[in-house]
Amino acid sequence: MRTFEVFLKRPGKDEFRHVGSMQAPDPEMAQVLARDSYCRRGEGDQMWLVDRSDVVEVDQEVLATTTDLAHRTNDGSAVAARRKQLRAEGAS
Amino acid sequence: MTRTWSDLDDFQAFIDGGGMVEPNDDMPAPYRDEVFRFIEFHANSELMGGLTERDWIPRAPGVRLKQIFLAKTQDEIGHAHLLYQVAADMGLKTRTEMLEQLFDGRSRFHNVFHYQAVTWADQIAIAYLVDAAAFASQRAVFAECTYGPYKRVLKRIVSEEGFHMRHGEEMLLRLAEGTDTQRSMFQDALTRWWWPAVQLFGPDSDPNDPLLRWKIKSQTNETLRHAYIQKYVPLLQSYGFEIPDDNLRFDAEAEDGKGAWLTTDIDWEPLKATMRQGGPDSRRRISTAAANYADTAWVRSALEPKPVAA
Repeated sequence: MRTFEVFLKRPGKDEFRHVGSMQAPDPEMAQVLARDSYCRRGEGDQMWLVDRSDVVEVDQEVLATTTDLAHRTNDGSAVAARRKQLRAEGAS
Repeated sequence: MTRTWSDLDDFQAFIDGGGMVEPNDDMPAPYRDEVFRFIEFHANSELMGGLTERDWIPRAPGVRLKQIFLAKTQDEIGHAHLLYQVAADMGLKTRTEMLEQLFDGRSRFHNVFHYQAVTWADQIAIAYLVDAAAFASQRAVFAECTYGPYKRVLKRIVSEEGFHMRHGEEMLLRLAEGTDTQRSMFQDALTRWWWPAVQLFGPDSDPNDPLLRWKIKSQTNETLRHAYIQKYVPLLQSYGFEIPDDNLRFDAEAEDGKGAWLTTDIDWEPLKATMRQGGPDSRRRISTAAANYADTAWVRSALEPKPVAA
């Protein structure tokens, strides 16, 4: 038996979402069983089945390198502080 | 490198910070054990419930109700499928081991599936009262649920239980508005099923219940049970049915003047008996389920991948 990860996309603008896993002997049977397990009432109009052995799980160490890269974002606090200061100066 | 935690305190901080555990994480062994046991119990209960439902397909009155019971049976068995997959992926038992232990009488499942459904009205009491109790407790798990794969399948399960309950209430209304015979049939079923449904929530939670601490359960058993009683006592009474509890009373002073329905002290012996497979119908239920598993062996065998000819 192979294990497949099931991704379903609801009709409309929603993104694909992981909805669960299931076993099937081959991709052909997987399609029928996935429909019966995950999409009995039109819950989606598109579905992806991914063989679990093909999923690459990214190493935590690869992901954990971005916490000190504050220059890659901007939370707007500098501008907010500057505006607040200007308002205070204008009011005085 | 999988995610790992130095000790249980470190893990608790992760949970308290809104963390979600995934199957490949190096989760603490007690978390894996407890969550696995909980999901296995849930899976077993869905399967046993689905088989009960199936028994009534041929006896459901009318084509529409037969269709509804067919679909509900497929839903419950489907829930069991999803849950056994999630449980098996935790690596403690395979799906086959879980099923074999269930059919050997070595595994537990919900108390309500250890009783016999005597008439069609019992099946409605189950569809309405029992499904509502199961729905309330599953929704409380879904609300937080720190185990990712469980939370994802619960989303589907909870939404399906929602309309099972509406089916149940619709069927109940037909009996409530029916003939005297129909009304007394439902009253008898309610007398049989009220306490098992209330007991489904279990005795008061241990304040140190790790499943509460790890946010698998979001509410204590007693909180859910109390809310259920507050909702269903007046509802069933409004249809003219009697709750089988001589000490049931409404205390207007309770809960800072908001008032609350108070029941007699609950006898937990019947619940404990079902956990030892000693319920009134435990033996027959388990043997029926085992026979069904044996009867469907050919399906599993047909699904086995065939060796490719060279």
